[in-house]
Order: sequence, then C-alpha cells, then structure tokens
Amino acid sequence: MIQQAPPRWLERMLLWCLPARDRETISGDLLEEYREERMPHLGSMRANVWYMRQSISFLSVRSVGGSPMKASLTWISVFTAAAGVWLTVMENIQRHAGYAERSAIAACIAIQGLSTVLFLVRDGRSIFRMLVLTGAVGVMLLGASAVKRILDAPHFEGFVFLIGSALIVQGGLALAVVLLARHGKTI
Amino acid sequence: MLEAQIVVDRFFNHAYNVDIVAELLGAFEQAVLLAVWNMAEEAYGRAILRGAQSALDRQVVAGAVYATLDRLEQRGLLASRLEEGTPVRAGRVRRYYRLTAAGIKALNESKAALEQMWRGAKWPLESKA
Repeated sequence: MIQQAPPRWLERMLLWCLPARDRETISGDLLEEYREERMPHLGSMRANVWYMRQSISFLSVRSVGGSPMKASLTWISVFTAAAGVWLTVMENIQRHAGYAERSAIAACIAIQGLSTVLFLVRDGRSIFRMLVLTGAVGVMLLGASAVKRILDAPHFEGFVFLIGSALIVQGGLALAVVLLARHGKTI
Repeated sequence: MLEAQIVVDRFFNHAYNVDIVAELLGAFEQAVLLAVWNMAEEAYGRAILRGAQSALDRQVVAGAVYATLDRLEQRGLLASRLEEGTPVRAGRVRRYYRLTAAGIKALNESKAALEQMWRGAKWPLESKA
C-alpha cells in the first residue's frame, strides 16, 4: 500500500529548516502526524497547508535563535528582499526612463536581503558571510542616499522612505551580527 | 563586609525566595515539561506536541515545541534517547524525552513559587475601583 506523503518540495523545505541533529526525528514526527491525523481528517490540501505551516515555524525559530538582534535582522531582510523583488518587477513593467539601472539596484537589494536570510538560517557557515558583510555597507549607503533624496524632494514618497530606512537598519544589524559573531560574542 | 553581604543575601533569599525565582519556568515550558511527565515512557516529539496543545487548549506550532524541548535539554531539565522508527514515519527514528531530577525540581519549584505569589489573594481578582 502506498502511503500518502507531503509534496517532495515541502519535505525538502522542512529538512532544510531543521538542524542536522533533529532532521530525522522531527521530520518523522511530522510525517506520522500528517499520515495518521491530518490527511484522514483534513484532506490533502489542508494537510499540506498544515505541513507547510509547521515547516515555516522551524524556519523562524531557527533564524531567530533566541536572539532579538538576529530576529530583527531576519525580518527586516525578508522585508527588503520582498521590496527588492517588487521594485524590480514594477520597474520592468513600467519601463520609465532609466529603469534598467533602477531595476539592477532593486535586484541587488533583493539578493542582499535573501543572502542575509540564508546566512542566518545556515548558522553563518556559508559563502553568504562575505556577501552579507560587503553588501551591508552597500545597502546602508544606498538606504541613506534614498532617505536623503526623499527628504529633499518636493514630493514625499513613503515607500521609498520606508525601504531606505529598512536598508539602513538592515546594514547596521548585519554588520553587528557578523562582526560580533566572528569575535565570539553573544548577539 | 562579608557578614553584611551574608545578611543581605539571607534577607533577599528569605523575603523574595531568590533561588526559586531564578528557576521559575515559563507557562509554555511548564506545559511541555508536564506533557513529558504525563507520558512517562511514551514522550516523543509528536506526543509532546499534542500534550502541550491539550494542556494549553490551543493550537501550537511544532517549531515552538521542539525549540523548547531543545532549550530544556540544554539546561539539563530533560534528557533524550533515540529509538527505532515505525513504517508510518518511513522508518525515521524517534527521540524520546524524560524529565531529569533537575527538571522535576524546576517544575516543583515553579508551582511552589506560583502558589506563594498567589497566597492571600482572593481569586478571581476583582476591580478595586
């Protein structure tokens, strides 16, 4: 008899979120709950939603890791990454003059945000460390320049101010997290 | 100087029961530890998740429970062992938890501290205004 299982990509996402020590035990617990309780009572779609929710709960727990500084950096990076993707898409749809440069900058913001999240959930043992460190200075300068330009402009654009401010905070927190972690300090 | 310090320490230990407050567990931690205690030999992740949900009377995400189990184990309040998995979990091993002596002590002290805090207060509380 073939037993039902969550979609393969969902299982991969869960395994990716789990620390090596608990990968087998926790994924086994969730598979057991999925097969014995969720699938029979909720059906395939809602059971998958439940499974995804549990997986995401591990992502946030792991990235937060009990540190307020890391938690703030994680969620700000998620925000700037999403904002970067959104700006890239909008620039390419609207195609106003100079859109290519702006969409390239927006793509860099998205990459920096994603790199920071990956760095945090991978416990800093990855190639993302260098990218985060160098990119942190870049996003701080970019954010400061955007905020200054908006404050000087005749029309106030709230979303640019918000994204610019988030970039400044993200850059500062990323520098603090990477540098303090390197010196073995609790963050 | 040393004597004065001892007097101060005794005063605080007596008046505020500092030892107990230092070991006081959060409500979620207590729910998880009690779930482990109630299940005795059957306390593995999934069962504890269900036990915590039942004790708190609300849905709890798995990440919160496993992070708490991990933290309590690191603090020495829980110990764990691995056992073979079943076919329904594709043979993946189970991690069973049990309370250590320190865990039992922490739970007892948390309950005693709560009872001490509520002593003299008429429950349920009513507005004094």
